[in-house]
Amino acid sequence: MTLVQSLRQRVEGRRGKLVLIGLFAALFLYPVILPFAVYEQGVLLLAFLLALMAVSWNIISGFAGYVSLGHSVFLGLGAYTGGLLAEKYQVNPLWFMPLGGLVAFVAAALVGMVVLRARGHAFVIITIALLLSMQVLVTNFSTITNGSNGVNVPLPFWSSDYQNMPFYYLFLVLLLATVAFAAWVRRTKFGTGLLAIREDEDKAAAIGVNTTRYKVLAYAVSALPIGVAGVVYAYFLSFINPIGAFALLTSVTIVLSALAGGRGTLWGPVLGGFVVSIVSEVANVYGGGSQSRLLVLGLALVLVVLFLPQGILPAVSARLAKRRAAKQAVEYTDQAGVATARTPIVVTPRSAPSAGKTSAPLLEIRGAKKSFGGLRAVDGVDLTVEAGSITALIGPNGSGKTTLFNLVTGAMPLGEGEIWFDGTRIDRLPPWERAHLGLGRTFQITRLFKSMTVLENVVAPLPSASWGLMAKDAVSGHEAERARELLDFVGLGRFGQQQAGALSYGQQKLVELAQVLMLEPKMILLDEPAGGINPTLVNRMVEIIRDLNRQGIAFLVVEHNIPLVLDLCDPVAVLSRGQVIAQGPPSIVRADPAVLEAYLGPEWLPAEPVPDVVLDQPSLSGKGS
Amino acid sequence: MTQLVQALALGLLIGGVYALMASGLTLIFGVMNIINVAHGALLILVAFITWRIWSLTDIDPILLSIVMTPLMFGFGWLLYKGVLSRISGSSPGMSVLLTFGIAITIEGVLNVTAGNRFRSATPSYFSESYRVFGISLPKAQVFGCLAAVLVLGLLYIVLARTWTGRAIRATAQNSSGAALVGIQAGSVAALAFAIGTATTGVGGSILSVLYPFFPASHYDWISRLLGIIVLGGMGSLAGALVGAIILGLAETLTATYGSLQWSTLIFYGVIMVVLLFRPQGLFGSRLRQDVMA
Repeated sequence: MTLVQSLRQRVEGRRGKLVLIGLFAALFLYPVILPFAVYEQGVLLLAFLLALMAVSWNIISGFAGYVSLGHSVFLGLGAYTGGLLAEKYQVNPLWFMPLGGLVAFVAAALVGMVVLRARGHAFVIITIALLLSMQVLVTNFSTITNGSNGVNVPLPFWSSDYQNMPFYYLFLVLLLATVAFAAWVRRTKFGTGLLAIREDEDKAAAIGVNTTRYKVLAYAVSALPIGVAGVVYAYFLSFINPIGAFALLTSVTIVLSALAGGRGTLWGPVLGGFVVSIVSEVANVYGGGSQSRLLVLGLALVLVVLFLPQGILPAVSARLAKRRAAKQAVEYTDQAGVATARTPIVVTPRSAPSAGKTSAPLLEIRGAKKSFGGLRAVDGVDLTVEAGSITALIGPNGSGKTTLFNLVTGAMPLGEGEIWFDGTRIDRLPPWERAHLGLGRTFQITRLFKSMTVLENVVAPLPSASWGLMAKDAVSGHEAERARELLDFVGLGRFGQQQAGALSYGQQKLVELAQVLMLEPKMILLDEPAGGINPTLVNRMVEIIRDLNRQGIAFLVVEHNIPLVLDLCDPVAVLSRGQVIAQGPPSIVRADPAVLEAYLGPEWLPAEPVPDVVLDQPSLSGKGS
Repeated sequence: MTQLVQALALGLLIGGVYALMASGLTLIFGVMNIINVAHGALLILVAFITWRIWSLTDIDPILLSIVMTPLMFGFGWLLYKGVLSRISGSSPGMSVLLTFGIAITIEGVLNVTAGNRFRSATPSYFSESYRVFGISLPKAQVFGCLAAVLVLGLLYIVLARTWTGRAIRATAQNSSGAALVGIQAGSVAALAFAIGTATTGVGGSILSVLYPFFPASHYDWISRLLGIIVLGGMGSLAGALVGAIILGLAETLTATYGSLQWSTLIFYGVIMVVLLFRPQGLFGSRLRQDVMA
């Protein structure tokens, strides 16, 4: 990015900020200037509420990508918490605002802990079920909740001259606070991790993101502002009942707002909230009352999903960016950044690996087995990786190399056997805890978070389970600084702001390596580091691996480029049909008859004596991938 | 004792109907990985149409399913070709939002055209029962369950014995593999969606007799059906059958020994408990997801 470009962006960012400040100033002044526009104030304050809920929804469903269809349940929980307590003790409900938020937070956390452990569809089903079952529960527990007859909430304490003005300001302030909160979440490592989960959940777990904790927390914090607002809502309505407080229609408007405005963006849901509540009000007034409102909202949801799936805000900004780009000359990203000098950097692993217990290997796999149905992919593998070594794992296709990697990193559960890493048994730990111990991996086909920037990709990994670390700023400060250093180290410092998906395949491999280094690993598993990238980059990769190894990081490398393996690695282990058939220094392994048979088949008879060059032939190195 | 047998018999009858309704939902999920949130709304839509025809012509509502089933097959096919296929390939979240939108739209249409009131088809045998060994089996329940079992049997034969059925099952297990052996994923998906929707033709007709309904009833029904397929294992037909019978029994037992108003909560409770201890459901399998390369 040129200086001019970045300057222009900054100016435009500032212009955007000014527009926003102006808009909200106008909203603040509106009741002062037009105090008797009671109807308009009423419409606006409900728009604030809807925008607030859409912004909150966006944290779990936009950032983390887990769609909730029953998010209005938290409005109901807040409303009933505030309403019931205020009625019982005849006090101002607003005192219960924090409690309303807490109830929503805890409810979401408890439900999340049940359904968000696994991936997939259970969550969306539960969100509907939660809303409907709360409706039934509140109706049935009539001794506490007064059932379907509802609850009368104390009337506002202020003089009726002020009408709804205090509510107007309350909701406006709550909306701003929620937007600020969502913006802060987005900036933290927690927020980056949520995006990572949306993009590729398994990969996120592999780089130390405790996906369960992230998702549960995201769901809980997305419930909190709505719970707080629910208390104010009950006060505003002054009467609540189960059907109204836990309304599915409210959920529909939340989803529609966030989606129409721009799911995953910060201001999109706010825009959507305003648009949807004003459009639905207009439809109500001119379109034949509330009977048809459902139809309008349903159709709108269908149309938005079909024709504007990314939302208004991203669509508009994409069009603006396109127009801007058309004015400028195309700027090619050069590869020079990779090939030219890089800054030397110290990537010291967190602690000297296993000081004191030097006799024990860093990684030890004992009798590992894994079958898929009838296929034994890994069939009793014993393998050790010594601290400080670069160990190779080679073998024909389908011999179980990648499966073994998956077992070691926890992407798949181990069938039988044990895996020990640095004195800890890890085969029952979730992937992120293995990463926290200092175990990193790269993937055969790179798995970067393609819609995030390169820098965000490198900031996302979490080297420890610390809560404080999750709250750290990911855009500036120490973490981002560290990520920039690592990008410089692999020679891609200039690409930090690019979208990761826009990089070449080889560059993506380097970014993935930088990502793993963010974990401060003791050991890195490399799955075909040289596969499919150009020779210059291969040399570069080898250089980087050697450099890191000198600083104490051990490697386990799967690679089909045999000359490279024989040159780089010692020892070499050979896997065939799920078993290690040879392990030792390269010179011995290359001449082992069992290895030759595994690669070339039993019919192949070596000319006596075994020629030294056999495994160096390019035809063999091409046999893989 | 009689009370227990009575409850069990009713539970089985209801379970049969649930099984039919859930089979369409689980079939669609299995083949397309789409949770069709509109399934409940389609049931209610059919129930309304059946009810309307019955009240105009007095033709037996359950018998009307012979007309409604091919009608819904066509409707499902159009719905897939016209709407759902447009977002094939985007994230599963979007398909949920889309079917949610369709459900709301159908509810809205019913609200506007039929009004927000409870309805129920009451043919002549509505309040009659068979008495067998001292327990009474409502005729409507018996006819409903028989129709459901008949259609389930047909569905089973189609899936197990025909080429189309094999293509559908192949796509459900491994869509890219199925594509490699010459199965067109798009048309199989359309077919599966159409068949899944066709089951609502029977299910909705039965529903119109067995349960009073109004436009917003579809939320109750979709939660029931989702509860069933979560319990059975999403995408598994056998699971849907077992889940439906378990939940049918649980519902009638709660209604008999507890109270009617709590029996609806059974479904939500079951979903939570199942997810807590066996996230993949009774018959579900966990597939490899990370070695697609």
